[in-house]
Parts: sequence; C-alpha cells; structure tokens
Amino acid sequence: MKNMQTSGSIVVIAEHFEGEIRPITYELVHFAETLQQFSPAPIKILVLDERAETLAKSLARTTGKDVLGLRAPQLAQYNGQVYTSILHEILRDHPPLYVCIGHSSRGSDYAPGLAMRLKAACITGVSALSVQEDMICFSRDVYGGKINADMVSNTETTVLTVQPGSYGPAPDRDLPKGNVCLKSMTVSPQTSTTLSTTPFQTSDLDFSAARVIVSAGRGIGEEENLELIRDLASVIPQSVVCGSRPVIDLGWLTYDRQIGVTGATVTPDLYLACGISGAAQHVSGMKGSGFIVAINTDPMAAIFNLSDICIVEDLKTFIPVLLEALSNKR
Amino acid sequence: MKILVCVKQVPESEAVVSIDKDAGWVDVHDTSVFRMNHFDECAVEAAVQIKEAFPGTTIHIISVGPERSEVVIRRAIGMGADHGTHMVTPGDGFVDPSTLAGWIASLSEASDADLILCGAMSEDLMQGQVGPLMAEYLSLPCATAVVQMTIMPVGEGVHVEREIEGGYREAVALQLPALLTIQTGINQPRYPSLSKLLRANKLKLNTLYVDAMEDSAPLQGVRRVTLPRKLREGVFLEGSASQKAEQLLTILSDRSFLTVL
Repeated sequence: MKNMQTSGSIVVIAEHFEGEIRPITYELVHFAETLQQFSPAPIKILVLDERAETLAKSLARTTGKDVLGLRAPQLAQYNGQVYTSILHEILRDHPPLYVCIGHSSRGSDYAPGLAMRLKAACITGVSALSVQEDMICFSRDVYGGKINADMVSNTETTVLTVQPGSYGPAPDRDLPKGNVCLKSMTVSPQTSTTLSTTPFQTSDLDFSAARVIVSAGRGIGEEENLELIRDLASVIPQSVVCGSRPVIDLGWLTYDRQIGVTGATVTPDLYLACGISGAAQHVSGMKGSGFIVAINTDPMAAIFNLSDICIVEDLKTFIPVLLEALSNKR
Repeated sequence: MKILVCVKQVPESEAVVSIDKDAGWVDVHDTSVFRMNHFDECAVEAAVQIKEAFPGTTIHIISVGPERSEVVIRRAIGMGADHGTHMVTPGDGFVDPSTLAGWIASLSEASDADLILCGAMSEDLMQGQVGPLMAEYLSLPCATAVVQMTIMPVGEGVHVEREIEGGYREAVALQLPALLTIQTGINQPRYPSLSKLLRANKLKLNTLYVDAMEDSAPLQGVRRVTLPRKLREGVFLEGSASQKAEQLLTILSDRSFLTVL
C-alpha cells in the first residue's frame, strides 16, 4: 500500500462504462503527464468499481501508471454520493496536489462536492495549461468560447475537470506496467440511490457513411428555417443534417442527430456549421472534421476559431443566395 | 412543498464581449441584451409544473447579480413563482463559485426548502458548480443534468433521470430535501403571463447586498483573460452575400464536395 499513497501526487480518476475504460480516462492521463512537467509529482490512477480488479489491471498495463482499485458493492452503478464518500475517505488523509476528473456528465456531477469536502478549489472544463509568473494557470472557455479565462488555484489540493477532446490519449510508449493495489471500501447508507442506467434512444443513423454534415444551431431562429438547412443538404452529395443541443432540445431534430458532448462525435470531410456559436460542448463533437465552414451573424462567434472558412452572414438570407448561385451554375 | 429556484441573468449569446483594460475580466458591451439563463428558465418551469400538480407548493426565486438582474427574478415570478430574493453584487466580476454557493446556502429559504432547483450551468461561465456546491453546504443529495423528474408520493422523495453520454440515461432516487440541476430539453419554458408579470412588478423583493471583495480567501481566481487561440486559419470571406456565395461554391467544388459546371 505504501506506494499507493496519494499525498503530493497527481490523481486521475478513471471513467468507465459497462466494463470498458472510457477514452476520457486516457486523455486525463495525458493531461496529468502535461501537468507533471510543470509540477513534478507521481501520477496515480484511481478506479472505482464493484470489483475493480480487471479494470485496474488493464489500466496499469495500458498506461504504465500505478493504479488503486477501490471496490464496494454500491459501485455496481455510478452514484455521485458513493463516489464522493469513497474518494473523500481515500484522499482526505493523503491530500494530492491535483485530482483530475473528466468533464463528463458523471465527472461534473461529483467533482464540485468532492472538492468542497477536500477544501479544494474546483476548476471545471479545463482545456489547456500554462505557467505565468510561476503560477500554473488552467484555461477554460467562458462566454460560449468567445473568451478564454486562465484560472489559478489558491488551495493545497485542486480538483480539475478536463474538457473531453482537449488532450488526445497519452502517446504510446513501451512502458513497464504499473503496480496494482485493490482496496475494499465500506459505504454508509446514502440519501440518493441509482436505480438503473438505460439507453433511451437508439438510432440507425450512420455518420461514418456521411462525407458531409450540415449542422444547424440556435442561430436558425425558427423551426421553418430548418428547411433551408435541408435544402442545402439536398444539393450536397453524401450529406446528413444534424444540429447542436438547442435545436434538439426544441424538438426540431431528433436526439440521434445531436452533435456534441452528450450526443455524437463526428469527423466528416466537411462540416458546415450554420448558426452554431461554437460552445465547448458542441466543439468537442466536431472539431476533428476535415474541413469546417461556419456561417454566423456574430463575427466573434467561437466557431470561427476552429473554422477553415468563416462567413459572417445571416443564414436565413445567405443560404437562399447560395442555392440560387449554385442552380445558376448547374 | 417549498421550492427554491436559483436563477442568473446572462448576456445573450450574440452579445459583444471584450477583455477589460487590465485583462482581468470580461466587459460585456452595454448595448447587449441580458436575459435569464436558459437552463434556469427550465428550472423555473419545472418548479411551476410541480406547483400546478401539488397545490400549496410555494416557489421562491434567488438571484445573485448586479442591480439590473432584478428583472429575471420578476420574470420568474411572472412565470408562476411566488417570492424572490435579490443578492445584489457591486458588478459583474468573477465570484468564486464556492463563495457564491455559500451565500445562497446561508439563506433560510435554502435551509427550509424541500427541493432546490438550479440550471445545470450558466451560459456565460459554464462552470456547473454552484448547484452541487450548495448541495454539499446543505448536506443534500444532488443530481445534475436532470432531464426528467417525478415527485413521488409523500415520503418517497423524487425520482429523476440524468442525461449521460452515448444516449444513455441514469435513473436516480433521491430523498427530500434534495437539490437538482436541470438540463435544457426537460421542458419548454412558458412565457410569463401578463397578469402575473403585473403582480411581479409590484412585488417587493427581499434585497441583500453582498460583495465578493470582502471574501478574504477565495479558493480560486482569474489570473487573466485572453482571446481564444485560433485552431485553424479561418479565412473570412469578403464582399456582398452573393460574392461570398460564389467564393464558397468555388472552394467547395475545388475540394470536390460539390460539382458545378
């Protein structure tokens, strides 16, 4: 157990689902390795699960890091209170420098509460690191990605949630596998219980066949303007219409067409972003696209920072002009 | 049932924002339109739906922000809430989320509530922290990103569904009192009714004054703000709409996404 002490270390909390390690876990390891360059400290991975052994061994092998598997019967499903209570018990007497958690639906659920119990600052949605005047700064998007804020922590331990897609997986190296340690935990009764985890909507939509995605955002304004997006898609071969969260929330497109953190991640050859502001939640689902064209009325829209071609126009007037110009050529 | 809903005023997503003179924080251009955070609007709607289903329910609204943010409290009352508290801050500067959560948690309306609803995040700062931190202050069970909720018969608490990645939902049972953060898509927030808005505009709100500058030990701070890095070249097409359309067609056909003659 000695080498599994978390005091002064950089702790990564692994994320897993249905027996599989989630990609964000490897991104967190990469993030932790980057952080290590500024703040030399050992990296320890913690994995919480009903049994934990298989996951812990797999992580130690693939990352080369020391892994502590924490097991409890209550961990058969994710529960925020159970996570917070177990992690607090493990970390409180051996305060790490950093606790790195995915900025996912689960990570964002327990990270703030855990931070408060550890008397730690919690900085969420971190997408980059830098050092300014000897202080480590954690960059995060504010104002829909129009501005970047460099945050600093004033506490001994800092809890960080890392935006998915900001760090690729740690580069492959031939590393000796890390040590594995397993620990059984007892959890007192909780005031919240996870009942089930179920798929709620399945889809036959196959994005891998789509060469082009024409995507609608809040900027389309009215549901009838979705017709413009469909008209545009109809003249582009191998294209599919998708949207950002606000359009799906309004019921204008079905959930299977949502691009972003809680929807699909796509990498078409061409992504045509129409009226999309470019908030981090959406960007993480499409930034790997081959060529990105954005149409938006707001010249400061964050989407323009990752676009190849930027068009400051109102899509409601621009798309008809574009379609007209195309039909004149055909 | 007593419900507390936390609402925040945010600038419209198209608002013109810039970096202030010492790069310390963000200036929102004064011509910008401010409105209620969309996530919070969904939280107010969820509370009003509970009130409609369970007569005798009262809804209290809390907002922390500068003088102008009072209008979002009145709007929430116009949607069907009963009372409101405005914690007035001197300006729009960054406030440590744990400081902010502590301010709200210290209100009797928070400690007396059976249910506290917050938006899953604010559209401007996108931290998603104030809700879960308040739950921790008040030792309440908490579920975030709630897309469905059912108040169970007395004594059985509340059942919710949280949205998680990959099209899955997590069903969670929470004892009351509880805190939930509401994800958009759970409902379509109503417009305030005229008669309720008239009442809301006459209503005297509880007003308290708070100042983050008096917080001697914030857990985190803003070192500086910058414009985001450009990840791609980002060529802005110039000219009239039709000139831009012509250029775009050329670009798309050169890359063989389109065929033009």
